[in-house]
Amino acid sequence: MRSRINLSKLRYNYIPDHILGEVLTKRWADNIVPITVFAITVVILANLIPGFLSPQSLSDAGRQMGEFLIIVCGVSIVMIAGGIDLSVGSIYAICALIAVAVVNLLEWPVPIALLISVLVGSLFGALNGYLIGYLKLRAFLTTLITFVIGRAIYDIALDYLGTPIQLSWVDSALWDFIGDGSVGLIPVSFIFATIVLVVAHVFISRSRRGWHISAIGGSRRSAFNTGIDVKKVVCSTYVISGACCGIAGFLFGARLNGTGPGTGIGLEILVLTACVVGGISLGGGRGSIAKGVLGGLIVLTINNSLIRMGYHSGTNQMVLGIMLTLAVILDIRWLRNRHKVLDKVYVAPVYTSMNEPVSALPEDKTVYALNSRLSETELIGAGEVEGPEDVILDHDDHLYCGSRHGDIVRFFAPDYKKWEVFVHIGGFPLGLAFDRNQTLMICVGAMGLYSVTPDRQVERLSAETNRSYLSVIDDARLRDPNDLDIGTDGKIYFTDSTTRYDAHEWAIDSVENRPTGRVLVYDPKTGKTRTLLRRLNYPNGVCMAHDGESFFFAESWECRVNRYWYRGAQAGRLETVIRDMPGYPDNINRASDGCYWMAWLGMRTPTYDLMLKKPGARRRMTRRLPQDDWLFPNINTGGVVKFDEKGNILEALGDLGGKHHPMVTSMREHKGYLFVGGILNNRIGKLKLSDADPAWTSSTSYWGASD
Amino acid sequence: MIIDEFFDRCLERIRTKAIVVPPLDGAMRPNNLLDESEVILGGIKCPDNAIVINDELWFSSKNQLFKLNVDARSDPQLIEGFEADISCMAASPDKGIAIGLEDARLLTGRTEGQALVDLVDHEALGCPSAMTFSSDGRLLVCQGSKNIENPTDMTRDLMQHGRSGSVWTHDFATGERSCIARNLGYPYGIVALSHSDEILVSECWQHRIIKLSLQGNRKPEAVFNDIPGYPARMIELSNSGLMLCLFAPRNRLIEFVLREHEFRKQMIDTIDPAYWIAPTLKSTQNFLAPLQQGGVKVMGIHKPWAPSLSHGMMVRLDQSQSPVESYHSRANGQRHGITSCCQIGHRIFATSKGDDCIIELSMNPGGQA
Repeated sequence: MRSRINLSKLRYNYIPDHILGEVLTKRWADNIVPITVFAITVVILANLIPGFLSPQSLSDAGRQMGEFLIIVCGVSIVMIAGGIDLSVGSIYAICALIAVAVVNLLEWPVPIALLISVLVGSLFGALNGYLIGYLKLRAFLTTLITFVIGRAIYDIALDYLGTPIQLSWVDSALWDFIGDGSVGLIPVSFIFATIVLVVAHVFISRSRRGWHISAIGGSRRSAFNTGIDVKKVVCSTYVISGACCGIAGFLFGARLNGTGPGTGIGLEILVLTACVVGGISLGGGRGSIAKGVLGGLIVLTINNSLIRMGYHSGTNQMVLGIMLTLAVILDIRWLRNRHKVLDKVYVAPVYTSMNEPVSALPEDKTVYALNSRLSETELIGAGEVEGPEDVILDHDDHLYCGSRHGDIVRFFAPDYKKWEVFVHIGGFPLGLAFDRNQTLMICVGAMGLYSVTPDRQVERLSAETNRSYLSVIDDARLRDPNDLDIGTDGKIYFTDSTTRYDAHEWAIDSVENRPTGRVLVYDPKTGKTRTLLRRLNYPNGVCMAHDGESFFFAESWECRVNRYWYRGAQAGRLETVIRDMPGYPDNINRASDGCYWMAWLGMRTPTYDLMLKKPGARRRMTRRLPQDDWLFPNINTGGVVKFDEKGNILEALGDLGGKHHPMVTSMREHKGYLFVGGILNNRIGKLKLSDADPAWTSSTSYWGASD
Repeated sequence: MIIDEFFDRCLERIRTKAIVVPPLDGAMRPNNLLDESEVILGGIKCPDNAIVINDELWFSSKNQLFKLNVDARSDPQLIEGFEADISCMAASPDKGIAIGLEDARLLTGRTEGQALVDLVDHEALGCPSAMTFSSDGRLLVCQGSKNIENPTDMTRDLMQHGRSGSVWTHDFATGERSCIARNLGYPYGIVALSHSDEILVSECWQHRIIKLSLQGNRKPEAVFNDIPGYPARMIELSNSGLMLCLFAPRNRLIEFVLREHEFRKQMIDTIDPAYWIAPTLKSTQNFLAPLQQGGVKVMGIHKPWAPSLSHGMMVRLDQSQSPVESYHSRANGQRHGITSCCQIGHRIFATSKGDDCIIELSMNPGGQA
């Protein structure tokens, strides 16, 4: 039994399953497959072909690669816009022939040859673009026709120009340098390619037109509706593709100083395979130049290596075909199922063993025994305020709370019948605290730490802390800031409950039970936030102890309360003061008698405790059941518990029928009354405390009597 | 057809193992008819197995047998108390009564006004869950399971994948007892169809109604499959349709737990059955009961369509055992755990064992008993 538990712990707590889900949330995740394929290909080929990785071999490969990648780049742009270009092989051949002819027969300068070559390529592209973009012909058929016609033109031209070119002889150092030269070991054509690729990458990912291209690929109709000139943009992608063929053709001409009947044949399949293998979606809208380059590297490396290994060209075609098929299948399946996969794999539960709690059943008469006192509260804002996670009162007894709409709502004393939206912040305002000047400090779920002055000036204090080096998810951002309190040193101590889930998914964090929460400290002097404690299991409420040197904080999913000393002789000490509670603790606040109030957001259930020991079962549950059917902690029953400095439990209040307060996330004592809030409730409760100091307020307890 | 099924079976291994339950649609469309119906008797502990004798409603409550005159609106009259809880009852046309007790005793007798007379103790039969008289005067008894002591413990049988239920006939004239079906997943309701020798039995853990012959010489044939709940007692209506009670809904989490062997075993071994992930009768439970995400109260509202371990539901079936209409008390309702019903004249009464009351069904305008 024990070994089984250890095994389960080993499996689920030390193998970082959660990273898979985190990686999948990243946009670069798609590139992992082609990169892996490329790495494997290189390793295999390096073993099969002697000298595969030698500088000379790489340099030779690079020369051809340059031309190829330029064409891939052009086709990538066409495909990102949702099109396809089959005519690249023909255009490439024609451009190569023209470049050679210009240099050899006309004996014009080499740069002019490049210009003419690009111009001709662009013209062919423009023909494609006009037919497809403006006349709305099918891209596949149109470019197929251009492909056939282009080939015919090339063959005819070759008949006339082939022999004169072969007989001519030109002496141009620049022409030879572009064809054969290298800068160091890097071939010139590769340098050309690098320039083209960098420009194209910046164009696609950073420029307005580039974004328009992606937008059209993603949804042509929506792009049109947002005012993008779809016809023009689509047309331009083919022009770009044609121009790229022009550059590549020019480089080919320079390399071989001539063309043959086989030039550019089968190129379109190679290029198309490269794009798809790289992960550019055939449907458009999803892809990048980097993906195209990756695919190009894979395809050309395999292709050339097969030739070097002496395989028949049929084998070569076959391998390409198989790769294309696999890539297309993967592309379609992945595109359709990516979000489903993410949904399924994101929750990665860990093994947690909870100790048997003390019973809270009323008939067991323990210290925790819940009663129904909270069902006697007088209701404030019932049905009007939604989600008051925390409540607080100011000098004039006005009552403040957050709402799930991102507002801070203020109820006016003395009867709290009238209310107003004090300020609108956004996010989900959670924990509240007043500083010495009656400025309201707020933890806003999904946003960060904010302050609101009495004259309603909202200021963002902090939205990030230091990033840890090994986290896939950006844990610098504050994801679920939950509760805060202000220390005697003027710093704000607050909790960020989880780095894995957003504020509204807080309860799902319990199903996973992975301790990723943190206690942070914000220093108003420097404006910087620092991580104080990490790896906590949903740290929640924070409350300064009366000693002025330490604070209590609740760790919800562990059902315990810790105390941390932030200054004084014991600075840095962390101690658990209450453990194994039957309920999940939330906010903690001071009581008038020197003790502390703690809210219970829900109760532990035997089945859920057992489920926590079964990470595998929980994992299957999250994959096989819709979320509504998942087993949850019982957050339909909550309570308020009072404890002293030592952690002794003095009193427990509940609402067993769930009449007024099915769950409680906060309470605030003020002038003999207890104000009760709950994140999933639509009301605030006001309960008369019989034995409380009727003059005591939280603000005077912190900052002394107000003037 | 066979090929389809074969393919389905093969594909099931490859497909994602999503857990699905039959939807509440068509005749099963949810409504609030049970919550809207009138309570004719409240505050009575666990009323169960209502039967009709002399146009009066007789029902059990724990170990006590009561009689209620539904017209007089008077308090129920206590007929008799037993040492053990009553688990099922049946009335014969000649004012005879049969009573199954949780301690496995089987009693038969006659009713005379306020009393039971001529009570006879028969050979014990463990875990009697439902009984009825056939038209030829024989008693038909369902034995829920061989693996548990009594019906109160029935969820244990479910969690152990119980398939040890059986149906027995009892001939008092000859004293002969014979088994006409075995290896059933908790038979929990039985009806001997008038004008034929066919018997219908609700097989609780299999969520279906099966047809048997009185002679026991026919293989059980499923006549109503994929019931979206746990079927309990049923009665034949005067128009030869059926009224079926479902004491709890099917719930995906329960189905999931039924496939999680390790979790389930430890749950059985270490947790009080009241707090299991299992079908329950009561609509309100204390905070130690399991909660599913959909059942979380948000802004003071408990969604009626939330997943729930209990509900109230009755289904009217036509002569061919197809559902015609249904009566519900949904997740947020207060008439859960309907275990039995009976018909007096044209009125239908049902016992809500979970929520301690007896109600009279307000029928749909189109529906007639």
